[in-house]
Amino acid sequence: MATLEMSAGGVAKATSPSALQRKISQTLLRALTGVAALFSFAIIFIMLFFLLVYAYPAIRFNGWGFFTSPIWNIGNQYGSGVATRNGFSGAPGAEFGALVFIFGSVLSALLTMLVSVPLALMVGLALVYRIPRQLRPIANALVELMAGIPSVVYGLWGLVVLVPWISNALAPWVTSHLGFIPFLGGPTGSGTGLIASVFILSLMVIPIMVATTRDVILAQSNAIFEASMALGSTSWQAMTRAVLPSVRSGIVASIMLAFGRAIGETMAVLMVCGSAINAFPSNIFSPVNTIAAVIVSQLESALTDATGMAQRSLAELACTLFIITLLINVIARAMMRGADRREGRGHA
Amino acid sequence: MIVTPQESAISTATKIETKNLEIFYGKFHAIKNANLAVGENSVMALIGPSGCGKSTFLRALNRMHDLTPGARVEGQVLLDGTNIYASGIDPVTVRHRIGMVFQRPNPFPKTIFENVVYGPKIHGLHNRKKLLEICERSLRGAALWDEVKDRLDRSALDLSGGQQQRLCIARCLAVDPEVILMDEPASALDPIATSKIEDLIDELKKLYTVVIVTHSMQQAARISDFTAFFLMGELIETAPTKSIFTTPRDKRTEDYITGRYG
Ligand SMILES: Nc1ncnc2c1ncn2[C@@H]1O[C@H](COP(=O)(O)OP(=O)(O)O)[C@@H](O)[C@H]1O
Ligand SMILES: [Mg+2]
Repeated sequence: MATLEMSAGGVAKATSPSALQRKISQTLLRALTGVAALFSFAIIFIMLFFLLVYAYPAIRFNGWGFFTSPIWNIGNQYGSGVATRNGFSGAPGAEFGALVFIFGSVLSALLTMLVSVPLALMVGLALVYRIPRQLRPIANALVELMAGIPSVVYGLWGLVVLVPWISNALAPWVTSHLGFIPFLGGPTGSGTGLIASVFILSLMVIPIMVATTRDVILAQSNAIFEASMALGSTSWQAMTRAVLPSVRSGIVASIMLAFGRAIGETMAVLMVCGSAINAFPSNIFSPVNTIAAVIVSQLESALTDATGMAQRSLAELACTLFIITLLINVIARAMMRGADRREGRGHA
Repeated sequence: MIVTPQESAISTATKIETKNLEIFYGKFHAIKNANLAVGENSVMALIGPSGCGKSTFLRALNRMHDLTPGARVEGQVLLDGTNIYASGIDPVTVRHRIGMVFQRPNPFPKTIFENVVYGPKIHGLHNRKKLLEICERSLRGAALWDEVKDRLDRSALDLSGGQQQRLCIARCLAVDPEVILMDEPASALDPIATSKIEDLIDELKKLYTVVIVTHSMQQAARISDFTAFFLMGELIETAPTKSIFTTPRDKRTEDYITGRYG
């Protein structure tokens, strides 16, 4: 006991920093965090930079047509000669338009968020306020488990269970009963397509958002909920008007994360999206394609392109996905900061 | 807020009353057979050593225990003679009539204005002019109006702790309650902010019935008309504040006020 006290005193004396020491360590810490922040920025920009350099011939070759044309055609691989535009050459007849894929990526990610954000918020709130105490560990384990399942498993499940169900049960029912509503009627195809992608993506992102919603609510004290209840609110009002707004920045961050995952998801989407090429979806059952999925599905044929332009166009696709994700993040942050400033909240 | 002293002095009717109140947390018996009556427009202070059940008792008065897993309330709490625990009584309506101010200021991370009008909005009022009226009246009632009238659209979190607590009181006044429960509302505040809250409570009792938990006997002596002393879950003694501090009837009360329980 005595030695313990003595050594504790000794340590305290030894580490009791002088003003100078404190200043040095503070400066050092600030410098280190600055470097770390810079480093992560640098990585993002280096990646984007090298992708852009690699894609540059394609950017010149494709021009604005890349964003406005729905046609993706790597051109005649067996003919002679090359097609040259802006000083860069591709196979004869080659045309690389990404509009179908950009549209498919954005549409499937947005629809996924539309379905999964409300659901995830409800489930997150239920995990905190509704589910009986004894069941919570099981429910939480389930959420954690779902968040950890590899996407290829979701994709396979989608292919062997969901897609047949859509084609045999859901699509016939919807088209015959709700077909008069735009985008719900018309040809239904094989079951792969937009709705299957959205369904699978929702399954993948909901657990992520549920877990964060639950955690940010639990991290906050119960005071906000009680304050609202004591003012005579119902518990539903307390959850939606007091608790959720007070953890908004955390929830927006998790929505962004989920959106990033949805728009970038590759394997699972590739397996259930129907791999549309050169065609836009006409209803929710139509085949679609996304930037991420098409990069994988087109890679093999692109590698056969002797001019290399197909590969470089795939890299241009990758840049596009990168920039879309970056933009969404920047916009969300700016929106959040605006809201925080209006309500004087600290910045997350 | 224009009430003459004569008017405030005549009220004697019982506003809120507990009968054979028992409160349990699981198997733990936290409040044992408490019987307490609080007169209209009076201030009742609840005192007692830490952990004796003051907060537990207070939270039974507006059914906050409904929100605490494992908590169970038996017996009756009568508001104007009606048992708020009777079947068919909506706890939401009860809390509408009985407001509560917590130990730590807990404003919503919203603007000052949005904090004050939260209750009225919840109850369906959306007319902006009316909400502004309510906001001003409530902030004046909480003696905060002059300090914040130019920055109603700023965040409540920018206010000092004392201002935040008065904002919470204003937020409570905005739903026009009949009874206000306060759980050590000044314990997290500095002495100046504390004395502002104490002055405010003196004003509040002209219009409301106040039940306040305090850990400070001096505070109880300054602000309350009646004092109830709790010890280990038991309500030991209730008396006019003047007499409980000068001539306590129970030995245990005397021991407490002379500082023998710390
Ligand atoms: N939610 C709870 N669950 C279990 N026991 C509790 C809970 N809240 C309070 N208690 C216990 O009940 C007793 C009274 O607590 P409390 O009413 O907070 O005392 P006071 O406000 O007088 O300090 C204490 O022993 C405390 O540990
Ligand atoms: Mg307490």
